[in-house]
Amino acid sequence: MPDWKKIVREKLGTLPLTHGRREEVIEELAEQLESAYEEALAQGINEQEALQRSIAQFKDWEKLRREVFQSVEGTHLPVWEQNGAFAPRRWPVWIALALALSLLLVPAFRQALAILLVPGNDTTAWCSRIFPEKVLRRIEQSGDKEKYARALAFVALHSPKEDDERAMHAAEKAIALDPNLTWISAKVSHPTYLYPDYDPHPWIERLKAWDPQNGFPYLLEADANVHYWEPPWTKYAASAAILRQSLAAERRWRIPMEKVFAAPRMDFYQLHRDAYTRLLPLLRRGARADEAAAVESALAVLPRFDYSVGGPAHSSLKAAAKRSAQVILISAVFVAVLGLLTALWLVLVIVLRWKRNANSLSHLLNRLASPLCFAPPALLLVSVALFLGYYPYARSIAQINSYQELEYGYVPVLMGLDDLTSFVPLTDFWVAHMFWPSLWCAAVALAGACLLWWVRRLTRPDRPDAA
Amino acid sequence: MAIMPDRELKKGNAELLILALLEEKTRHGYEIGKLIAARSEGVLRFHVASLYPLLYRLERRGWVKGEWEPAGGRRRRYYRLTPTGRRILAEQRSRWRAFSGAVNRIVEVRHA
Repeated sequence: MPDWKKIVREKLGTLPLTHGRREEVIEELAEQLESAYEEALAQGINEQEALQRSIAQFKDWEKLRREVFQSVEGTHLPVWEQNGAFAPRRWPVWIALALALSLLLVPAFRQALAILLVPGNDTTAWCSRIFPEKVLRRIEQSGDKEKYARALAFVALHSPKEDDERAMHAAEKAIALDPNLTWISAKVSHPTYLYPDYDPHPWIERLKAWDPQNGFPYLLEADANVHYWEPPWTKYAASAAILRQSLAAERRWRIPMEKVFAAPRMDFYQLHRDAYTRLLPLLRRGARADEAAAVESALAVLPRFDYSVGGPAHSSLKAAAKRSAQVILISAVFVAVLGLLTALWLVLVIVLRWKRNANSLSHLLNRLASPLCFAPPALLLVSVALFLGYYPYARSIAQINSYQELEYGYVPVLMGLDDLTSFVPLTDFWVAHMFWPSLWCAAVALAGACLLWWVRRLTRPDRPDAA
Repeated sequence: MAIMPDRELKKGNAELLILALLEEKTRHGYEIGKLIAARSEGVLRFHVASLYPLLYRLERRGWVKGEWEPAGGRRRRYYRLTPTGRRILAEQRSRWRAFSGAVNRIVEVRHA
Protein backbone atom coordinates (compact mmCIF):
# COMPACT_ATOMS: atom_id res chain seq x y z
CA MET A 1 0.00 0.00 0.00
CA PRO A 2 1.47 3.37 -0.97
CA ASP A 3 2.26 5.89 1.75
CA TRP A 4 -0.49 8.33 0.81
CA LYS A 5 0.44 11.01 3.28
CA LYS A 6 3.98 11.02 1.96
CA ILE A 7 2.74 11.34 -1.60
CA VAL A 8 0.46 14.26 -0.72
CA ARG A 9 3.18 15.95 1.33
CA GLU A 10 5.65 15.72 -1.57
CA LYS A 11 3.18 16.86 -4.21
CA LEU A 12 1.77 19.70 -2.15
CA GLY A 13 5.12 21.04 -0.99
CA THR A 14 5.17 23.65 1.71
CA LEU A 15 1.74 24.71 2.90
CA PRO A 16 2.18 27.56 5.35
CA LEU A 17 -0.74 26.72 7.64
CA THR A 18 -0.43 26.04 11.33
CA HIS A 19 1.18 22.66 11.85
CA GLY A 20 -1.99 20.97 13.07
CA ARG A 21 -4.16 22.29 10.26
CA ARG A 22 -1.56 21.40 7.63
CA GLU A 23 -1.42 17.80 8.84
CA GLU A 24 -5.22 17.63 8.82
CA VAL A 25 -5.36 18.80 5.20
CA ILE A 26 -2.66 16.33 4.19
CA GLU A 27 -4.44 13.49 5.95
CA GLU A 28 -7.78 14.35 4.38
CA LEU A 29 -6.36 14.54 0.88
CA ALA A 30 -4.50 11.29 1.50
CA GLU A 31 -7.84 9.73 2.48
CA GLN A 32 -9.28 10.88 -0.82
CA LEU A 33 -6.42 9.27 -2.75
CA GLU A 34 -6.61 6.07 -0.78
CA SER A 35 -10.38 5.75 -1.24
CA ALA A 36 -10.06 6.27 -4.99
CA TYR A 37 -7.22 3.74 -5.12
CA GLU A 38 -9.21 1.12 -3.26
CA GLU A 39 -12.21 1.67 -5.48
CA ALA A 40 -10.08 1.21 -8.58
CA LEU A 41 -8.61 -2.02 -7.20
CA ALA A 42 -12.12 -3.26 -6.42
CA GLN A 43 -13.01 -2.69 -10.07
CA GLY A 44 -10.20 -5.06 -11.04
CA ILE A 45 -7.66 -2.45 -12.12
CA ASN A 46 -4.03 -3.31 -11.42
CA GLU A 47 -2.14 -1.53 -8.65
CA GLN A 48 0.04 0.62 -10.90
CA GLU A 49 -2.86 1.99 -12.92
CA ALA A 50 -4.97 2.41 -9.79
CA LEU A 51 -2.18 4.47 -8.27
CA GLN A 52 -1.93 6.65 -11.38
CA ARG A 53 -5.71 7.14 -11.53
CA SER A 54 -5.84 8.09 -7.90
CA ILE A 55 -3.08 10.69 -8.13
CA ALA A 56 -4.49 12.05 -11.40
CA GLN A 57 -7.53 13.31 -9.49
CA PHE A 58 -5.44 16.33 -8.58
CA LYS A 59 -4.00 17.50 -11.88
CA ASP A 60 -2.56 20.76 -10.69
CA TRP A 61 -1.08 20.46 -7.22
CA GLU A 62 0.18 24.03 -7.17
CA LYS A 63 -3.29 25.32 -7.88
CA LEU A 64 -4.69 23.01 -5.20
CA ARG A 65 -2.08 24.30 -2.76
CA ARG A 66 -3.04 27.90 -3.52
CA GLU A 67 -6.76 27.26 -3.26
CA VAL A 68 -6.50 25.24 -0.08
CA PHE A 69 -4.50 27.99 1.58
CA GLN A 70 -6.89 30.67 0.35
CA SER A 71 -9.92 28.70 1.53
CA VAL A 72 -8.51 27.99 4.96
CA GLU A 73 -6.93 31.38 5.64
CA GLY A 74 -9.19 33.58 3.55
CA THR A 75 -6.24 35.29 1.91
CA HIS A 76 -3.72 34.70 -0.90
CA LEU A 77 -0.83 32.32 -0.43
CA PRO A 78 2.18 34.40 0.71
CA VAL A 79 4.08 35.54 -2.35
CA TRP A 80 7.31 33.97 -1.09
CA GLU A 81 5.53 30.62 -0.69
CA GLN A 82 4.11 30.59 -4.21
CA ASN A 83 5.58 28.21 -6.75
CA GLY A 84 4.10 29.68 -9.93
CA ALA A 85 6.32 30.22 -12.96
CA PHE A 86 6.88 33.87 -12.06
CA ALA A 87 6.83 33.59 -8.30
CA PRO A 88 9.76 35.35 -6.60
CA ARG A 89 11.20 32.09 -5.28
CA ARG A 90 11.59 30.81 -8.84
CA TRP A 91 14.28 31.98 -11.25
CA PRO A 92 12.25 33.00 -14.40
CA VAL A 93 10.96 36.24 -12.92
CA TRP A 94 14.45 37.32 -11.80
CA ILE A 95 15.93 36.35 -15.15
CA ALA A 96 13.25 38.46 -16.87
CA LEU A 97 13.97 41.39 -14.56
CA ALA A 98 17.73 41.06 -15.09
CA LEU A 99 17.30 40.93 -18.86
CA ALA A 100 15.00 43.96 -18.81
CA LEU A 101 17.55 45.90 -16.76
CA SER A 102 20.46 44.63 -18.85
CA LEU A 103 18.87 46.31 -21.86
CA LEU A 104 19.89 49.55 -20.19
CA LEU A 105 23.47 48.58 -20.89
CA VAL A 106 22.75 48.71 -24.61
CA PRO A 107 23.43 52.26 -25.87
CA ALA A 108 20.68 52.04 -28.48
CA PHE A 109 18.09 51.20 -25.83
CA ARG A 110 19.22 54.07 -23.63
CA GLN A 111 19.02 56.32 -26.66
CA ALA A 112 15.48 55.10 -27.36
CA LEU A 113 14.49 56.02 -23.80
CA ALA A 114 16.32 59.34 -23.89
CA ILE A 115 14.68 60.34 -27.15
CA LEU A 116 11.36 60.36 -25.35
CA LEU A 117 12.64 62.67 -22.65
CA VAL A 118 14.73 65.04 -24.69
CA PRO A 119 13.75 68.68 -24.25
CA GLY A 120 12.24 70.52 -27.16
CA ASN A 121 9.24 68.37 -27.86
CA ASP A 122 7.72 71.37 -29.50
CA THR A 123 9.33 71.15 -32.91
CA THR A 124 8.82 74.80 -33.55
CA ALA A 125 10.34 75.49 -30.15
CA TRP A 126 9.94 79.16 -30.78
CA CYS A 127 8.76 80.04 -27.36
CA SER A 128 9.42 77.06 -25.18
CA ARG A 129 11.44 77.49 -22.04
CA ILE A 130 13.45 74.34 -22.36
CA PHE A 131 16.80 75.36 -20.99
CA PRO A 132 17.29 77.12 -17.67
CA GLU A 133 18.53 80.68 -17.73
CA LYS A 134 21.89 79.85 -16.17
CA VAL A 135 22.53 77.10 -18.73
CA LEU A 136 21.87 79.46 -21.61
CA ARG A 137 24.06 82.11 -20.02
CA ARG A 138 26.88 79.63 -19.62
CA ILE A 139 26.56 78.45 -23.22
CA GLU A 140 26.54 82.05 -24.44
CA GLN A 141 29.60 82.95 -22.38
CA SER A 142 31.39 79.90 -23.70
CA GLY A 143 30.41 80.81 -27.27
CA ASP A 144 31.61 84.38 -26.79
CA LYS A 145 34.86 83.27 -25.31
CA GLU A 146 35.67 80.67 -27.93
CA LYS A 147 34.06 82.57 -30.80
CA TYR A 148 31.95 79.50 -31.40
CA ALA A 149 29.04 80.50 -33.63
CA ARG A 150 27.00 77.33 -33.08
CA ALA A 151 26.87 77.77 -29.33
CA LEU A 152 25.54 81.29 -29.84
CA ALA A 153 23.04 80.01 -32.39
CA PHE A 154 21.90 77.47 -29.84
CA VAL A 155 21.24 80.28 -27.36
CA ALA A 156 19.36 82.25 -30.00
CA LEU A 157 17.17 79.27 -30.78
CA HIS A 158 16.44 78.27 -27.21
CA SER A 159 15.96 81.55 -25.40
CA PRO A 160 12.45 81.91 -24.06
CA LYS A 161 10.27 84.50 -25.69
CA GLU A 162 10.34 86.63 -22.55
CA ASP A 163 14.02 87.06 -23.24
CA ASP A 164 13.92 87.69 -26.96
CA GLU A 165 16.50 90.43 -26.64
CA ARG A 166 19.07 87.84 -25.62
CA ALA A 167 18.00 85.66 -28.56
CA MET A 168 18.45 88.51 -31.03
CA HIS A 169 21.73 89.53 -29.54
CA ALA A 170 23.06 85.97 -29.68
CA ALA A 171 21.78 85.58 -33.23
CA GLU A 172 23.59 88.73 -34.32
CA LYS A 173 26.84 87.42 -32.91
CA ALA A 174 26.37 83.91 -34.34
CA ILE A 175 25.63 85.15 -37.84
CA ALA A 176 28.52 87.57 -37.68
CA LEU A 177 30.83 84.67 -36.88
CA ASP A 178 29.30 82.28 -39.39
CA PRO A 179 27.02 83.62 -42.14
CA ASN A 180 25.89 80.05 -42.87
CA LEU A 181 23.80 80.38 -39.75
CA THR A 182 21.72 83.20 -41.19
CA TRP A 183 18.74 80.82 -41.30
CA ILE A 184 18.27 81.42 -37.56
CA SER A 185 16.98 84.87 -38.54
CA ALA A 186 13.74 83.13 -39.41
CA LYS A 187 13.35 81.92 -35.90
CA VAL A 188 14.46 85.13 -34.28
CA SER A 189 12.05 87.17 -36.38
CA HIS A 190 9.06 84.94 -35.78
CA PRO A 191 8.18 85.55 -32.12
CA THR A 192 8.67 89.25 -32.52
CA TYR A 193 5.27 89.41 -34.21
CA LEU A 194 3.87 89.41 -30.76
CA TYR A 195 5.77 92.53 -29.71
CA PRO A 196 4.42 95.77 -31.15
CA ASP A 197 7.64 97.66 -30.49
CA TYR A 198 9.79 95.25 -32.36
CA ASP A 199 10.25 95.24 -36.13
CA PRO A 200 11.04 91.81 -37.61
CA HIS A 201 11.62 93.17 -41.11
CA PRO A 202 15.40 93.65 -40.81
CA TRP A 203 15.74 89.94 -39.97
CA ILE A 204 13.50 88.96 -42.83
CA GLU A 205 15.40 91.18 -45.25
CA ARG A 206 18.66 89.61 -44.10
CA LEU A 207 17.18 86.17 -44.72
CA LYS A 208 15.92 87.13 -48.17
CA ALA A 209 19.36 88.35 -49.10
CA TRP A 210 21.03 85.18 -47.82
CA ASP A 211 18.58 82.70 -49.35
CA PRO A 212 16.95 84.47 -52.32
CA GLN A 213 15.59 81.29 -53.95
CA ASN A 214 13.56 80.35 -50.90
CA GLY A 215 9.89 81.30 -50.53
CA PHE A 216 9.88 81.03 -46.75
CA PRO A 217 11.24 84.55 -46.02
CA TYR A 218 8.36 86.01 -48.06
CA LEU A 219 5.93 83.96 -46.04
CA LEU A 220 7.42 85.45 -42.90
CA GLU A 221 7.12 88.87 -44.46
CA ALA A 222 3.43 88.38 -45.25
CA ASP A 223 2.77 87.34 -41.68
CA ALA A 224 4.82 90.22 -40.34
CA ASN A 225 2.91 92.71 -42.51
CA VAL A 226 -0.57 91.52 -41.70
CA HIS A 227 -1.38 89.95 -38.37
CA TYR A 228 -4.49 88.17 -39.56
CA TRP A 229 -4.96 86.55 -36.14
CA GLU A 230 -5.57 89.97 -34.61
CA PRO A 231 -8.35 92.55 -35.01
CA PRO A 232 -9.67 93.72 -37.38
CA TRP A 233 -8.95 90.50 -39.28
CA THR A 234 -10.46 88.29 -36.62
CA LYS A 235 -13.89 89.35 -37.76
CA TYR A 236 -13.32 87.16 -40.82
CA ALA A 237 -12.14 84.20 -38.78
CA ALA A 238 -15.49 82.40 -38.98
CA SER A 239 -14.98 81.70 -42.68
CA ALA A 240 -11.62 80.74 -44.14
CA ALA A 241 -12.78 81.65 -47.63
CA ILE A 242 -13.80 85.18 -46.61
CA LEU A 243 -10.55 85.62 -44.70
CA ARG A 244 -8.55 84.55 -47.77
CA GLN A 245 -10.48 86.96 -49.98
CA SER A 246 -9.95 89.79 -47.54
CA LEU A 247 -6.25 89.04 -47.22
CA ALA A 248 -5.88 88.83 -50.98
CA ALA A 249 -7.30 92.33 -51.21
CA GLU A 250 -4.62 93.55 -48.82
CA ARG A 251 -1.60 94.53 -50.86
CA ARG A 252 0.92 94.19 -48.01
CA TRP A 253 -0.08 90.55 -47.67
CA ARG A 254 -0.75 89.65 -51.29
CA ILE A 255 2.57 90.78 -52.80
CA PRO A 256 4.86 88.74 -50.53
CA MET A 257 2.52 85.77 -50.86
CA GLU A 258 2.77 85.96 -54.63
CA LYS A 259 6.53 85.79 -54.21
CA VAL A 260 6.12 82.76 -51.97
CA PHE A 261 4.39 80.88 -54.74
CA ALA A 262 6.79 82.15 -57.37
CA ALA A 263 9.88 81.08 -55.42
CA PRO A 264 11.86 78.14 -56.88
CA ARG A 265 11.82 76.28 -53.57
CA MET A 266 10.39 76.34 -50.09
CA ASP A 267 12.62 75.52 -47.15
CA PHE A 268 11.33 76.07 -43.64
CA TYR A 269 14.78 75.23 -42.22
CA GLN A 270 13.11 72.38 -40.43
CA LEU A 271 16.18 70.19 -40.57
CA HIS A 272 18.41 72.95 -39.31
CA ARG A 273 16.05 73.50 -36.43
CA ASP A 274 15.75 69.80 -35.67
CA ALA A 275 19.49 69.51 -35.50
CA TYR A 276 19.47 72.15 -32.82
CA THR A 277 16.28 71.35 -30.98
CA ARG A 278 16.56 67.58 -30.82
CA LEU A 279 19.76 66.03 -32.10
CA LEU A 280 22.35 68.03 -30.29
CA PRO A 281 20.65 68.18 -26.90
CA LEU A 282 20.10 64.46 -27.20
CA LEU A 283 23.74 63.82 -27.85
CA ARG A 284 24.85 66.13 -25.10
CA ARG A 285 22.48 64.59 -22.61
CA GLY A 286 24.05 61.28 -23.45
CA ALA A 287 27.50 62.77 -22.79
CA ARG A 288 28.36 62.15 -26.41
CA ALA A 289 30.23 65.37 -26.90
CA ASP A 290 32.45 63.96 -29.63
CA GLU A 291 29.49 62.82 -31.66
CA ALA A 292 27.76 66.14 -31.12
CA ALA A 293 30.82 67.93 -32.44
CA ALA A 294 30.95 65.52 -35.37
CA VAL A 295 27.31 66.20 -36.21
CA GLU A 296 27.85 69.92 -36.00
CA SER A 297 30.82 69.83 -38.29
CA ALA A 298 29.02 67.46 -40.68
CA LEU A 299 26.03 69.77 -40.79
CA ALA A 300 28.28 72.70 -41.46
CA VAL A 301 29.81 71.21 -44.59
CA LEU A 302 26.81 69.37 -45.97
CA PRO A 303 25.03 70.83 -48.95
CA ARG A 304 21.64 72.34 -48.34
CA PHE A 305 18.86 69.81 -48.56
CA ASP A 306 17.21 69.61 -51.93
CA TYR A 307 13.55 68.72 -51.65
CA SER A 308 13.34 67.92 -55.35
CA VAL A 309 15.19 64.61 -54.90
CA GLY A 310 12.36 63.12 -52.87
CA GLY A 311 10.45 60.28 -54.50
CA PRO A 312 8.37 57.20 -53.70
CA ALA A 313 11.35 55.35 -52.19
CA HIS A 314 12.11 58.22 -49.88
CA SER A 315 8.46 58.61 -49.02
CA SER A 316 8.25 54.98 -47.98
CA LEU A 317 11.36 55.43 -45.84
CA LYS A 318 9.75 58.40 -44.14
CA ALA A 319 6.54 56.46 -43.62
CA ALA A 320 8.48 53.57 -42.08
CA ALA A 321 10.32 55.95 -39.79
CA LYS A 322 7.06 57.53 -38.69
CA ARG A 323 5.51 54.15 -38.00
CA SER A 324 8.57 53.23 -35.96
CA ALA A 325 8.08 56.39 -33.95
CA GLN A 326 4.54 55.37 -33.19
CA VAL A 327 5.65 51.90 -32.15
CA ILE A 328 8.33 53.48 -29.98
CA LEU A 329 5.84 55.70 -28.26
CA ILE A 330 3.27 52.97 -27.67
CA SER A 331 6.01 50.72 -26.33
CA ALA A 332 7.34 53.54 -24.20
CA VAL A 333 3.94 54.03 -22.57
CA PHE A 334 3.89 50.34 -21.68
CA VAL A 335 7.53 50.47 -20.55
CA ALA A 336 6.64 53.34 -18.23
CA VAL A 337 3.55 51.64 -16.82
CA LEU A 338 5.16 48.21 -16.47
CA GLY A 339 8.35 49.77 -15.12
CA LEU A 340 6.32 51.34 -12.33
CA LEU A 341 4.46 48.10 -11.69
CA THR A 342 7.74 46.19 -11.63
CA ALA A 343 9.21 48.66 -9.16
CA LEU A 344 6.08 48.30 -7.02
CA TRP A 345 6.32 44.48 -7.23
CA LEU A 346 9.98 44.64 -6.24
CA VAL A 347 9.27 46.82 -3.22
CA LEU A 348 6.39 44.60 -2.17
CA VAL A 349 8.32 41.33 -2.43
CA ILE A 350 11.25 42.85 -0.51
CA VAL A 351 8.93 44.11 2.22
CA LEU A 352 7.12 40.78 2.35
CA ARG A 353 10.43 38.94 2.51
CA TRP A 354 11.31 40.63 5.77
CA LYS A 355 7.84 41.19 7.15
CA ARG A 356 6.19 37.82 7.31
CA ASN A 357 3.86 38.34 10.23
CA ALA A 358 0.33 37.72 9.05
CA ASN A 359 -1.34 40.99 9.85
CA SER A 360 -3.84 42.82 7.71
CA LEU A 361 -1.15 45.03 6.17
CA SER A 362 0.93 42.11 4.98
CA HIS A 363 -2.24 40.46 3.65
CA LEU A 364 -2.94 43.60 1.66
CA LEU A 365 0.64 43.82 0.36
CA ASN A 366 0.56 40.15 -0.52
CA ARG A 367 -2.71 40.59 -2.35
CA LEU A 368 -1.09 43.35 -4.42
CA ALA A 369 2.15 41.49 -5.05
CA SER A 370 0.58 38.24 -6.23
CA PRO A 371 -0.88 39.46 -9.53
CA LEU A 372 2.07 41.81 -10.11
CA CYS A 373 4.44 38.87 -10.65
CA PHE A 374 3.71 39.22 -14.37
CA ALA A 375 5.09 42.77 -14.46
CA PRO A 376 8.84 41.90 -14.81
CA PRO A 377 8.40 39.48 -17.74
CA ALA A 378 5.93 41.86 -19.36
CA LEU A 379 8.43 44.71 -18.87
CA LEU A 380 11.05 42.65 -20.66
CA LEU A 381 8.73 42.10 -23.60
CA VAL A 382 7.77 45.73 -24.05
CA SER A 383 11.39 46.81 -23.58
CA VAL A 384 12.36 44.51 -26.40
CA ALA A 385 9.50 45.95 -28.47
CA LEU A 386 10.79 49.47 -27.78
CA PHE A 387 14.33 48.46 -28.63
CA LEU A 388 13.29 46.80 -31.90
CA GLY A 389 11.18 49.79 -32.86
CA TYR A 390 14.10 52.15 -32.43
CA TYR A 391 16.94 49.88 -33.55
CA PRO A 392 16.87 50.81 -37.27
CA TYR A 393 17.62 54.41 -36.27
CA ALA A 394 20.05 53.61 -33.50
CA ARG A 395 23.32 53.89 -35.35
CA SER A 396 25.73 56.55 -34.29
CA ILE A 397 24.36 59.93 -35.25
CA ALA A 398 27.84 60.94 -36.28
CA GLN A 399 27.45 58.48 -39.15
CA ILE A 400 24.67 60.53 -40.71
CA ASN A 401 26.27 61.82 -43.85
CA SER A 402 23.69 64.04 -45.42
CA TYR A 403 20.63 66.09 -44.82
CA GLN A 404 18.73 63.53 -46.87
CA GLU A 405 19.63 60.83 -44.41
CA LEU A 406 18.41 63.00 -41.60
CA GLU A 407 15.27 63.87 -43.47
CA TYR A 408 14.33 60.30 -44.36
CA GLY A 409 15.42 58.53 -41.22
CA TYR A 410 16.03 60.12 -37.92
CA VAL A 411 13.97 63.26 -38.23
CA PRO A 412 10.73 61.46 -39.22
CA VAL A 413 11.16 59.32 -36.13
CA LEU A 414 11.34 62.45 -34.04
CA MET A 415 8.48 64.06 -35.89
CA GLY A 416 6.40 60.91 -35.49
CA LEU A 417 6.84 61.22 -31.76
CA ASP A 418 5.62 64.78 -31.91
CA ASP A 419 2.62 63.72 -33.95
CA LEU A 420 1.59 61.33 -31.25
CA THR A 421 2.06 63.72 -28.40
CA SER A 422 -0.01 66.41 -30.03
CA PHE A 423 -3.75 66.20 -29.76
CA VAL A 424 -5.34 65.77 -33.13
CA PRO A 425 -8.74 64.39 -34.03
CA LEU A 426 -8.92 60.62 -33.84
CA THR A 427 -10.25 60.24 -37.35
CA ASP A 428 -7.31 62.17 -38.78
CA PHE A 429 -4.77 60.38 -36.78
CA TRP A 430 -5.42 57.02 -35.20
CA VAL A 431 -7.14 55.48 -38.15
CA ALA A 432 -4.61 56.81 -40.63
CA HIS A 433 -1.41 56.39 -38.63
CA MET A 434 -1.95 54.01 -35.78
CA PHE A 435 -3.55 50.98 -37.41
CA TRP A 436 -0.40 49.10 -38.41
CA PRO A 437 1.68 50.10 -35.39
CA SER A 438 -1.15 49.03 -33.12
CA LEU A 439 -1.43 45.75 -35.01
CA TRP A 440 2.32 45.23 -34.67
CA CYS A 441 2.20 45.94 -30.95
CA ALA A 442 -0.76 43.58 -30.60
CA ALA A 443 1.24 40.89 -32.42
CA VAL A 444 4.19 41.42 -30.07
CA ALA A 445 1.82 41.28 -27.09
CA LEU A 446 0.25 38.07 -28.43
CA ALA A 447 3.65 36.47 -29.00
CA GLY A 448 4.66 37.56 -25.50
CA ALA A 449 1.50 36.14 -23.97
CA CYS A 450 2.11 32.81 -25.75
CA LEU A 451 5.68 32.82 -24.45
CA LEU A 452 4.53 33.50 -20.90
CA TRP A 453 1.94 30.76 -21.17
CA TRP A 454 4.55 28.34 -22.49
CA VAL A 455 7.01 29.15 -19.71
CA ARG A 456 4.26 28.81 -17.13
CA ARG A 457 3.25 25.45 -18.55
CA LEU A 458 6.84 24.29 -18.86
CA THR A 459 7.53 24.94 -15.22
CA ARG A 460 4.65 22.81 -13.96
CA PRO A 461 6.24 19.35 -13.83
CA ASP A 462 3.35 18.08 -11.73
CA ARG A 463 1.02 18.46 -14.67
CA PRO A 464 0.75 15.19 -16.56
CA ASP A 465 0.33 17.04 -19.85
CA ALA A 466 3.17 19.52 -19.26
CA ALA A 467 6.13 19.50 -21.55
CA MET B 1 -22.37 12.36 -19.69
CA ALA B 2 -21.74 15.63 -17.87
CA ILE B 3 -23.79 18.28 -19.52
CA MET B 4 -23.05 21.08 -17.09
CA PRO B 5 -19.46 22.27 -17.26
CA ASP B 6 -17.57 22.01 -14.03
CA ARG B 7 -16.72 25.71 -13.99
CA GLU B 8 -20.35 26.76 -14.19
CA LEU B 9 -21.23 24.25 -11.53
CA LYS B 10 -18.60 25.58 -9.22
CA LYS B 11 -19.57 29.17 -9.77
CA GLY B 12 -23.28 28.69 -9.43
CA ASN B 13 -24.51 25.92 -7.27
CA ALA B 14 -21.62 24.03 -5.72
CA GLU B 15 -22.25 25.45 -2.27
CA LEU B 16 -25.94 24.60 -2.45
CA LEU B 17 -25.21 21.02 -3.51
CA ILE B 18 -22.80 20.41 -0.65
CA LEU B 19 -25.00 22.03 1.97
CA ALA B 20 -27.98 20.01 0.75
CA LEU B 21 -26.06 16.75 0.98
CA LEU B 22 -24.95 17.55 4.52
CA GLU B 23 -28.50 18.34 5.59
CA GLU B 24 -29.37 14.66 5.86
CA LYS B 25 -26.30 13.46 7.75
CA THR B 26 -22.62 14.04 8.29
CA ARG B 27 -20.44 13.03 5.32
CA HIS B 28 -16.76 12.95 4.38
CA GLY B 29 -15.30 14.54 1.24
CA TYR B 30 -14.97 11.38 -0.82
CA GLU B 31 -18.59 10.49 -0.11
CA ILE B 32 -19.80 13.96 -1.09
CA GLY B 33 -18.04 13.77 -4.48
CA LYS B 34 -19.46 10.31 -5.16
CA LEU B 35 -22.97 11.27 -4.07
CA ILE B 36 -23.12 14.27 -6.37
CA ALA B 37 -22.24 12.08 -9.35
CA ALA B 38 -24.54 9.26 -8.28
CA ARG B 39 -27.63 11.30 -7.42
CA SER B 40 -27.37 13.35 -10.55
CA GLU B 41 -26.92 10.09 -12.51
CA GLY B 42 -23.60 11.32 -13.83
CA VAL B 43 -24.92 14.64 -15.09
CA LEU B 44 -23.05 16.59 -12.44
CA ARG B 45 -19.45 15.85 -11.61
CA PHE B 46 -17.28 17.51 -9.10
CA HIS B 47 -13.52 17.75 -9.43
CA VAL B 48 -12.08 16.74 -6.11
CA ALA B 49 -9.44 19.45 -6.56
CA SER B 50 -12.28 21.97 -6.23
CA LEU B 51 -14.24 20.06 -3.63
CA TYR B 52 -11.79 20.26 -0.76
CA PRO B 53 -10.99 23.99 -1.07
CA LEU B 54 -14.75 24.57 -1.16
CA LEU B 55 -15.29 22.50 1.97
CA TYR B 56 -12.55 24.45 3.74
CA ARG B 57 -14.12 27.70 2.63
CA LEU B 58 -17.52 26.67 3.96
CA GLU B 59 -15.86 25.65 7.20
CA ARG B 60 -14.07 28.97 7.51
CA ARG B 61 -17.37 30.78 7.01
CA GLY B 62 -18.90 28.67 9.78
CA TRP B 63 -21.48 27.01 7.54
CA VAL B 64 -20.11 23.49 8.10
CA LYS B 65 -17.93 21.91 10.77
CA GLY B 66 -15.44 19.13 10.13
CA GLU B 67 -14.57 16.54 12.77
CA TRP B 68 -12.43 13.44 12.67
CA GLU B 69 -14.28 10.21 13.34
CA PRO B 70 -13.24 6.58 13.14
CA ALA B 71 -14.50 4.74 10.06
CA GLY B 72 -13.58 1.22 8.96
CA GLY B 73 -10.34 0.95 10.87
CA ARG B 74 -9.11 4.43 10.00
CA ARG B 75 -10.29 7.93 10.66
CA ARG B 76 -12.07 10.29 8.28
CA ARG B 77 -13.04 13.90 8.47
CA TYR B 78 -16.81 14.20 8.53
CA TYR B 79 -18.61 17.44 7.84
CA ARG B 80 -21.89 18.51 9.38
CA LEU B 81 -24.08 21.54 8.91
CA THR B 82 -23.93 24.26 11.54
CA PRO B 83 -27.02 26.33 12.45
CA THR B 84 -25.70 29.10 10.22
CA GLY B 85 -25.26 26.57 7.42
CA ARG B 86 -28.86 25.46 7.79
CA ARG B 87 -30.07 29.02 7.51
CA ILE B 88 -27.91 29.62 4.42
CA LEU B 89 -29.14 26.37 2.89
CA ALA B 90 -32.74 27.44 3.39
CA GLU B 91 -32.08 30.76 1.72
CA GLN B 92 -30.17 29.26 -1.20
CA ARG B 93 -32.74 26.54 -1.68
CA SER B 94 -35.53 29.10 -1.73
CA ARG B 95 -33.70 31.13 -4.36
CA TRP B 96 -33.00 28.03 -6.41
CA ARG B 97 -36.66 26.97 -6.36
CA ALA B 98 -37.77 30.40 -7.45
CA PHE B 99 -35.18 30.48 -10.22
CA SER B 100 -35.71 26.93 -11.50
CA GLY B 101 -39.49 27.31 -11.29
CA ALA B 102 -39.32 30.46 -13.37
CA VAL B 103 -37.08 28.81 -15.95
CA ASN B 104 -39.33 25.76 -16.09
CA ARG B 105 -42.42 27.85 -16.62
CA ILE B 106 -40.77 29.31 -19.70
CA VAL B 107 -38.96 26.28 -21.05
CA GLU B 108 -41.71 23.73 -20.47
CA VAL B 109 -44.58 25.79 -21.88
CA ARG B 110 -46.34 24.30 -24.96
CA HIS B 111 -47.79 26.60 -27.53
CA ALA B 112 -51.13 25.59 -28.92
